[in-house]
Amino acid sequence: MDSELIQQIRSEASYLLKDGTVKCVIGYERASDGLTSRPFFAYEPAAVERLIFDETCTHNLVRYLLDKKREKVAIVVKPCDSRAINLLLNEAQIKRHMVFIIGVTCSGVMETSCNDKGQALQARCQTCQMTKPLVYDFLVEQKLVERPEGEPYLDIQEIETKPIAARRAFWSEQFGRCIRCYACRQVCPGCYCPDCFVEQLDPLWVGIRIAPKENELWQITRAFHLAGRCIGCNECERVCPVDIPLGRLNRKLEKEVKELFTFQAGLSPEEQPPFATFKKEETLGFEE
Amino acid sequence: MNLFLSKEDLIRWLDALLRQRVLVAPVRVQGLILLQPVSKVAEVTLDFGNTTLSPKGWFLPPMETLFSVQSNDGQQKLVPTTIEKDAVIFGLRPCDARGIALIDRPLLREPSDALYRERRARTSLIGLSCRQAQPECFCTSMGSAPNDPSHVDILLTEIDNGYILQVITEKGRALLSESFAEYKGTLPKPPEPGAVPTKEVVPAVKKLFDDPYWERLADRCLHCNICAYVCPTCYCFDVRDYSDKGSVERIRGWDSCQSPGFSRIAGGYNPRVTKGARLRQRFAHKLLYFPERFKDVACVGCGRCVRSCPVNIDIREVLRDLQQLEVKSGS
Repeated sequence: MDSELIQQIRSEASYLLKDGTVKCVIGYERASDGLTSRPFFAYEPAAVERLIFDETCTHNLVRYLLDKKREKVAIVVKPCDSRAINLLLNEAQIKRHMVFIIGVTCSGVMETSCNDKGQALQARCQTCQMTKPLVYDFLVEQKLVERPEGEPYLDIQEIETKPIAARRAFWSEQFGRCIRCYACRQVCPGCYCPDCFVEQLDPLWVGIRIAPKENELWQITRAFHLAGRCIGCNECERVCPVDIPLGRLNRKLEKEVKELFTFQAGLSPEEQPPFATFKKEETLGFEE
Repeated sequence: MNLFLSKEDLIRWLDALLRQRVLVAPVRVQGLILLQPVSKVAEVTLDFGNTTLSPKGWFLPPMETLFSVQSNDGQQKLVPTTIEKDAVIFGLRPCDARGIALIDRPLLREPSDALYRERRARTSLIGLSCRQAQPECFCTSMGSAPNDPSHVDILLTEIDNGYILQVITEKGRALLSESFAEYKGTLPKPPEPGAVPTKEVVPAVKKLFDDPYWERLADRCLHCNICAYVCPTCYCFDVRDYSDKGSVERIRGWDSCQSPGFSRIAGGYNPRVTKGARLRQRFAHKLLYFPERFKDVACVGCGRCVRSCPVNIDIREVLRDLQQLEVKSGS
């Protein structure tokens, strides 16, 4: 743990709370296993002593801004998390003046689980080249480690070469395990529909069956709803209790959107996302 | 009398059971351990901490058809769901067996849940003592133990060269088709899982019902359904009717008090609208309402919710916090 870095986060948090700039600071604290970390909400200046930051801080805290729209809050964000802030600004879900962003530079977080602080960087971090949050009010810099530039879509390309039947069999098996706990949705900063289609009764899209067909409809629709919107924090895959590789679906769609529209979600708060843009010259790709 | 099974004996015995019944056993799938019906003994894994999901799913499946109504030439026929075969669950941990015994109390109380009752009656339980406690385990604080024989039909305990077999019930005796050698040695000492304070937990929850603690704890809760769905003692479900091409099915599926729509009623009113009220419901059901109606706390210390919670809401910590808060508030 970098104590100087943590000290900087704590003093800024303490200042913001004492000064009354924010009602609450959303950061990280040590988890109950004594090894990993968990989200922490500091409301009183004394509570900032619980704030920490290290390479187990995998959670994308931006999702919590959706619960705290009524009061100004401060939030600790990594570079990838800052893309979620841009996404929510872009989609008018949060107001910039209601959030004080404590940005932390980062060269990757670990693949952790309960009672295991991890041996290696998360796969998404291994090829990531972002080191500085795209948007912040206060920047905390830590010592960074060089990461080799790599091809981020190797696993996607591998699946793409397989015949459709094999791909279908792979995903059917994966979705077959889904228990529809909706942790993937609940953790996602981009999943904020007040009434999710999967729980809608009228019209009835899916129904309550926890069964292969319904699971598949749920997962595929969700993935498409995040096409061009997923910012790649991979929290959905991290939280899945039955280890469905959801990140692969999201990155496949991210890759498609990148190739078709040269667009990546969350890089700027202003750039219009492809699926929220209408251009007259765009055709559907068939004879009119 | 305790019996001894060599590793080969065990495989032979499971193979014999498999021929007469559905054998539900732990299977390694990717990095997970899933309890599922197997078609051959080789699929079964014996080297595991505990299964990823609890065994409750065998008795109260994630989704089942309660009955269907079929319409033919103006005639309606009600088709009940039937259970085809007897089953045996192998490799059940003692904490999970206690979990089943606990949910028996609400589900088998008259008027009992017919499908649950039938599955329960037609399934035998072969427990497997734990050789090692996981860091998240706390069964001994919750009325169970790594070698607790109370709620299984047969208990197996692994030793270096095989297994000690204890017949606990008549239902268990019926599973033994061949005779095994007697085991004259002593049973190995069980591992010692972590301890959690449970003294006076019921009055503590009652007293702290309106404490701001719940709202603060719920700040980081994502309100997913993981804790409820991995839990051996969470038994809430939803029931809906769906029609398709002249037939109607009544479906039951798992549900969870953490989901925002769980307590929404007709007209759109939701009595548990805050995050804190929803999260409190989970703990109040386990630590207050259940013991008030059915005597014991509805937690067996399996540690699954601790392991699987994406934001580390740890029931052991909640129990400690409740005791500390109660001491502070002066009883």
